[in-house]
Amino acid sequence: MDRPGSPYQIELSPHIHSGITKDGLMARTFLAMCVPAVAAGFAMGTDALIHIVLAVGTSLVCRLLITALLPRGSRPQDDRSAASPLVAGMIVGLSMPIASPYPLTVGVSALTMTVFKWLQGRAFGRKYVNPAAASKLVLLGGLTLAAGLGAGMLFYPGHLRLDLWSAAGFDRVIEFYETQRLSGIESLILWKTHGWIGGASGLAVLVAGVGVVIWLKLKWRIVLSLFLVIGSLAILVGALTGGDVVGRLVFHLFTGSVVFMGFFMATEPQSTPMTDGGQCAFGALLGVGTFLLQQMNVLGGSIIALVAMNLLTPFFDRIGMRRPYGHGGGR
Amino acid sequence: MIRRVDRYRFREAGGFVVDASAKRGGEIVPFQTVPDPESCVVLLTQHAGRSNVPLVRPGETVIEGQKIADSDDAMGVPVHAPISGIVRKIEDVYHPGAGAGAPAAFIERHAPESPLGSRVFDPDRLDEVSTETLLGAVREAGIVGLGGAAFPTHVKLAMREKAARLVINAKESDPNVACDLRLQQEYPDEIVAGIRAMSRILDPEEVIFASRAGPGAFPELEALLARAGVAVAHIRPSYSVGSEKLLVRELFGLEVPCGGYPPDVGVVVHNVFTAYAVARALFAGEPLISRGLTLLSRATGPRNLWVKVGTPLRDVLRFAGLDPERFRRLTVASLLMGRSVPDPDVPVIKATAGICAFEPDEPDPYDRSLPCIRCGSCNAVCPVGIYPALIMEAEARGQTARLRRLHAEDCIDCGLCSYVCPATIRLTGSLRRATATVRPANGSGASSGSEHPGSGDTDRPFGRGQRSC
Repeated sequence: MDRPGSPYQIELSPHIHSGITKDGLMARTFLAMCVPAVAAGFAMGTDALIHIVLAVGTSLVCRLLITALLPRGSRPQDDRSAASPLVAGMIVGLSMPIASPYPLTVGVSALTMTVFKWLQGRAFGRKYVNPAAASKLVLLGGLTLAAGLGAGMLFYPGHLRLDLWSAAGFDRVIEFYETQRLSGIESLILWKTHGWIGGASGLAVLVAGVGVVIWLKLKWRIVLSLFLVIGSLAILVGALTGGDVVGRLVFHLFTGSVVFMGFFMATEPQSTPMTDGGQCAFGALLGVGTFLLQQMNVLGGSIIALVAMNLLTPFFDRIGMRRPYGHGGGR
Repeated sequence: MIRRVDRYRFREAGGFVVDASAKRGGEIVPFQTVPDPESCVVLLTQHAGRSNVPLVRPGETVIEGQKIADSDDAMGVPVHAPISGIVRKIEDVYHPGAGAGAPAAFIERHAPESPLGSRVFDPDRLDEVSTETLLGAVREAGIVGLGGAAFPTHVKLAMREKAARLVINAKESDPNVACDLRLQQEYPDEIVAGIRAMSRILDPEEVIFASRAGPGAFPELEALLARAGVAVAHIRPSYSVGSEKLLVRELFGLEVPCGGYPPDVGVVVHNVFTAYAVARALFAGEPLISRGLTLLSRATGPRNLWVKVGTPLRDVLRFAGLDPERFRRLTVASLLMGRSVPDPDVPVIKATAGICAFEPDEPDPYDRSLPCIRCGSCNAVCPVGIYPALIMEAEARGQTARLRRLHAEDCIDCGLCSYVCPATIRLTGSLRRATATVRPANGSGASSGSEHPGSGDTDRPFGRGQRSC
């Protein structure tokens, strides 16, 4: 915006910046996710770490290839930064079930980087769906449809035999999480050996997630409304079925597909609403969708609800706008 | 007594912080007077309102304090010669307030003469003077709001029926301006005399001095204020609360309705520098031809200077020992709201509270912006509760109806949305275009995005045009 002939740079205000950068936010997110990653390493063993390394490595390689092979105008604008692929890879790694084969993890990571991050951004100017969730849904869903649940690993097929609508059925689910040292509820909160890698320790995710929400000033309304709705529905169903209400609450909140998704995927900025009310509605409906999928035994299917809500984000952006100052909205 | 004011982390909505540490210690730097320049460039219109007409011609001799431009508009405020000399020419120069060309008188200094003064009032006998006489004297002295919006002071002081409360804004919110606090240390008598005069004109039920400094920071001023019956409100350190509308909310919990002004809720707000200028005008017969400002650069740190209006920035920089040619960016007024200027010959105007000079290795932080990541930081930090990112989106798509639903007209141009943007997007251009789109074409004569003059808004540091609702 320099004025011709002037040695001075002419710009609109402001002329200073807070120093908060996208790379900084990404680096902080990555660091925060290292907490559940380390916990997964302890709880699930080296297998979990291999998944994470594969996902992150694939993500970095894909970014390198995009940068190297494409002309400058087609590359991502932050192509010099490794922060974005690091975070994307980490999310993929942590959102994979520990039982999934390594090639699936590599495939989801590659699809995330190439199609749902780069191509989606290039085609639409922004991301309408969470890249990791959409990749997982497309690849694993496609495999599931083509070759069955066992091959697709969208969720564990054995879960279909569960009965979450009765107290007795739910007790058997909780027993499933019991270990030699921990009760089912303790295991859900502290130390799981199956399910999403990122959810190995619900407590670790909770600590890192709350920290990152405060640290990064993420869209906390989504997280809050999501957990409030899931928690409320869990208590309601627990009360109606006469079973263990606390157990229900812990189960629905601390499965990896809820607690990790809630903090680190549902708050992905580009695919989520910006208005206050829109964020609350997004989180609440995501909670309803996730809860119902869990009740229907699709454990790990929260990404289906997430992608569906992502697609409704343009609508959510039109509702729930706060009233500005001067219109009765003095905050 | 000189004390440091250590409150430089300004808390904003959404948990964000404006770092004002660049001006740390500025309040202990005494004012230095920049010598009269060889040649002054005096913009003929320096207030928010219609343009003045020149009262002098090229070749004419003028005396310091002589009126050189005025208008018959009720909102008009005259401009005076800051030095004695000869008017060499009148031609358009860059107006740092409007960001466009505007007529200015080039005055070449000659041998100093006794400055022209105006009628001087006795501060102890103001009750014997009519309100109209005092308002006329304030107008004739060319006083405008010195917080930066340059709204005519006599117009605000004439709102006697509406003003239940008079607030003196000594918040000094701009992250680069330290001269307000310094003024409170060096000129407490004048400030309190000005407040007394304003109170005499407005006759409010309550007078409040709103300060960022903590209790005991300025004991002399505080004692004088207490003696004058002026309550001191110590405001939390916050940049946005420097806006008079938001200050009104902070102090009284009142909300100025959209399109309105603080007097609509019974409050009149004046800047502390304006109070000082009123005192100088009424009790020393001195029109507004000079002002205090803060010069900030890496080499000098914050320097408080007393500068004649019309002094080219080049002269100010040289006085501070800086080579004007070595800088890449020069900004005037607030770092969050002010403009960068095309060259160092741009003059100081009445509204110039600060000057910042950036070295070549201090690049524009918005040089390498990325696409919006929709993080919502701008929405969270917005002090008036609009959605800058959604407005930017709608503006880019030309969605006028949506811009209205998003209340784009309520933007106060504070710059906080850009300041916190992780993608380093300068949203101000888009927001100004959006505001101009939804504002009625005849909105108080304000052209799109113009801060002042031409803006009817008294809000400072957030001068924009009259809003539609």
